[in-house]
Amino acid sequence: MATESSESEEEGKISGGNEKLILDDDLREMGKNAAWSVSSCKPGNGVNTLRDDNLETYWQSDGLQPHLINIQFQKKVRLQLVALYVDFKLDESYTPSKISVRAGDGFHNLKEVKSVELVKPSGWVSVSLSGTDPRETFVNTFMLQIAMLSNHLNGRDTHIRQIKVYGPRPNPIPRQPFQFTSTEFLAYSTLR
Amino acid sequence: MESLLVNSVEKNLTQFMFSNAIFLCERLLADFPSEVNLQLLARCYLSNGQPYSAYYILKGSKTPQSRYLFALSCFKLDLLGEAEAALLSTVEQQVIPGGAAGHYLLGLIYRYAGRKNSSVEQFRIALSCDPLCWEAYAQLCSLGVAEEASTVFGNVAAQRLQKTHVPQRINFSEGETKDQLIDSDKASKDISVWQTEHVPGENQQDLKVKQLGAEIPPDTDNQRNASSHTNGWDLNTPSPVLPQVLDVPPPMLYKNMRRPEVEGLMSVHGEPRKKFVCEEESSEAPEESRRRRSARIAAKRKIPMFHHSPSESNGVPSLSSMIGKCRIQSSKEATTSGQSINDTGSSVDDEQNSNPRGSSLDPFSLMSGISEMLNLLKILGDGHRSLHMYNCQEALLIYQKLSEKQYNTHWVLMQVGKAYVELQDYFSADSVFTLAHQKYPYALEGMDTYSTVLYHLKEEMRLGYLAQELIAIDRLSPESCANGRCASGNYYSLRKDHEAALKMFRRAIQLNERFTYAHTLCGHELAALEDFEDAERCYRKALSIDTRHYNAWYGLGMTYIHQEKFEFAQHQFQLALQINPRSSVIMCYFGIALHESKRNDEALKMMEKAIVADARNPISKYFKANILANLGDYHKALKVLEELKDSAPQESSVHALLGKIYKQVKLYDKAVLNFGIALDLNPSTSDAVKIKACMERLIVPDELETEEDL
Repeated sequence: MATESSESEEEGKISGGNEKLILDDDLREMGKNAAWSVSSCKPGNGVNTLRDDNLETYWQSDGLQPHLINIQFQKKVRLQLVALYVDFKLDESYTPSKISVRAGDGFHNLKEVKSVELVKPSGWVSVSLSGTDPRETFVNTFMLQIAMLSNHLNGRDTHIRQIKVYGPRPNPIPRQPFQFTSTEFLAYSTLR
Repeated sequence: MESLLVNSVEKNLTQFMFSNAIFLCERLLADFPSEVNLQLLARCYLSNGQPYSAYYILKGSKTPQSRYLFALSCFKLDLLGEAEAALLSTVEQQVIPGGAAGHYLLGLIYRYAGRKNSSVEQFRIALSCDPLCWEAYAQLCSLGVAEEASTVFGNVAAQRLQKTHVPQRINFSEGETKDQLIDSDKASKDISVWQTEHVPGENQQDLKVKQLGAEIPPDTDNQRNASSHTNGWDLNTPSPVLPQVLDVPPPMLYKNMRRPEVEGLMSVHGEPRKKFVCEEESSEAPEESRRRRSARIAAKRKIPMFHHSPSESNGVPSLSSMIGKCRIQSSKEATTSGQSINDTGSSVDDEQNSNPRGSSLDPFSLMSGISEMLNLLKILGDGHRSLHMYNCQEALLIYQKLSEKQYNTHWVLMQVGKAYVELQDYFSADSVFTLAHQKYPYALEGMDTYSTVLYHLKEEMRLGYLAQELIAIDRLSPESCANGRCASGNYYSLRKDHEAALKMFRRAIQLNERFTYAHTLCGHELAALEDFEDAERCYRKALSIDTRHYNAWYGLGMTYIHQEKFEFAQHQFQLALQINPRSSVIMCYFGIALHESKRNDEALKMMEKAIVADARNPISKYFKANILANLGDYHKALKVLEELKDSAPQESSVHALLGKIYKQVKLYDKAVLNFGIALDLNPSTSDAVKIKACMERLIVPDELETEEDL
């Protein structure tokens, strides 16, 4: 499901990253339907840089830790994966190190869903939101918050170059319990 | 110098040396400004793809040929109102300039403006004027109002073609040319002069003139001759002698022939545009319009016609002369027409002279050629019509009747491919399209459908390759680029990159505003992105261009289902079914919409219809089982699904649904078995989660039981 980022033996540690973001076919980017906000930013490096598909621009925070990125949806959505583009080689002490992903209905009842530690990442880093239980593959929530708890080399502020949030694709056939898998069914299932 | 320049320009045009032609034409126009030369320049501009230049120079011209060219330029510039005004004369009730081509153009204008009935009328007239105007028939088919091919391309058409193409000139004097010129001269003379002419052909003119009510006492001689000639037009015409046709393009004659039929309709002031007032080929001179008018006038009186021998048709005498004479209106126009008549003479001369080149001199072989052509057109017309009525099986059978050579032409192969697509037989369609593409890699018609076929078959690589090929063919031509963009759009859509696909389709639309399918595909992509409002807009745009594009109705229905507006959805599917009553996919979704609106009986009936319509469509059975399960009729549902399972063993959703139903009827073993199989068949992640969740809950009751037992 996730990318081929190498996981070290300790749980929750991710090192390295990928040049390109490689995903499953049945994932769909959900960020367009969301309202994005950040806890603080330096002028010129605001929240837009997180969603501009440009890896040269980055968001730079400007306040106390933890730095937060808030993603709010209008209705409950199922989310599976968060992908961040960070680069230690470029950002050094601005590169986040400990990241906590929280979910909830709003700011008042966020609960941590996943916590990871990055070790000198460079490229796309995927954080899966699934639990061990198959029933916990998705996080069904109104709001997601990504908290940068600490940075590499104890830096104060953080740089994030791009963020994407993924969930499952809905069934293209409306009002059906299951999706079709075989070519034959799919060929007959729509007119084009 | 003038004729030298004219000849050079014509030669350049035939050899596609457009810039040279334009240059020479400008010189010509500078020294010899005249309407005809202006038309020539306009032709040069139009050939060179400069409709705006042609538009400006022809603005305000009144002569029919100029009006036709002007209307064409307006049409290319999308100035429909002006084009229409140019083709319809308001000053005098003249017939449409340009003949069949003019009617066809007018039909297109009406169609683009959304005036369906008028356009249908125009296309019908165009077709009756010139049965080889296939495009008019194709337009009628796509509007859904085409008549049977056998009527359209039948005997009537044969006669028309005979009249048109069989050379009918008997020269009573030395040379044809001379004749024409003589007649032209005569034509330009005053009305009174005609009395002195007694060339046999003239008698008919006299007759016409007489019929025009001109105050010219007919010669008794003439009268007699006239009547004999009139008789000659009767069905029992004796001789196959080709009567003299004095510089009259054959179409005229046929028109005259047609007149008697529509006698009632015709009048001097009658609506020139009614049927049978068709000017056939666009003739090059202003003469034509006058000829036509007087011919129309002539037809007011009974001119018996409808003889079947080809020779008779051109009994109409030199209409030009007749017209010239009968120009009761303006003798001064006659003088201006004098020069044009000369030109006409020369151009018609060319036409006539080229006739022998084009057709065999033997009228009988020409007739057999005509009947052969019409037979071919009958088959093609039938097939085309069936395809547009979505009567695809029949269309396929019809096309089989063609000779192998004709069958393997690009157009026919595209039709066959399309028929397979409409039958949802994508494999056969694929083989046909592949063959066609290999044979004719340059031909772009229908490649958008080919890309759809590859999309349905999930052939990513081939689709990508096709897209590349198409765009590489000609980056500038809208046709190729639009099709190429469509193919690339389908490619991205297959890879689920809907944004990129949307961009491609939008680009295709930019290249060709009236590319209905591109609009529909845009709508599909927007629907996939869940932007239903914009999707709706796209679909409606597609429908505004072509109301019979049932894919767009289907798309609208689907967006409404997604938005849970089931009543609306039903309406859309109904409309789609009206256009294509055999599509099982539409019936399936119609059934879903009905089911969601709680009209369950109708829903089930619709599903039955869908199953009957296409036995190979597994979706209809699946939907039916789902509906039955929702209604609680588990046993029937199970039956349907078990059958389906046998015919489609690789489909995860079938097993998943089976598992679900078995769970409902408490056959837990079977349920678990089916869920297991479903999971093995690679469902999507969310489905896998669902199935696993169902399985968990199944096992728990068992455990509880065993615990209790213990």
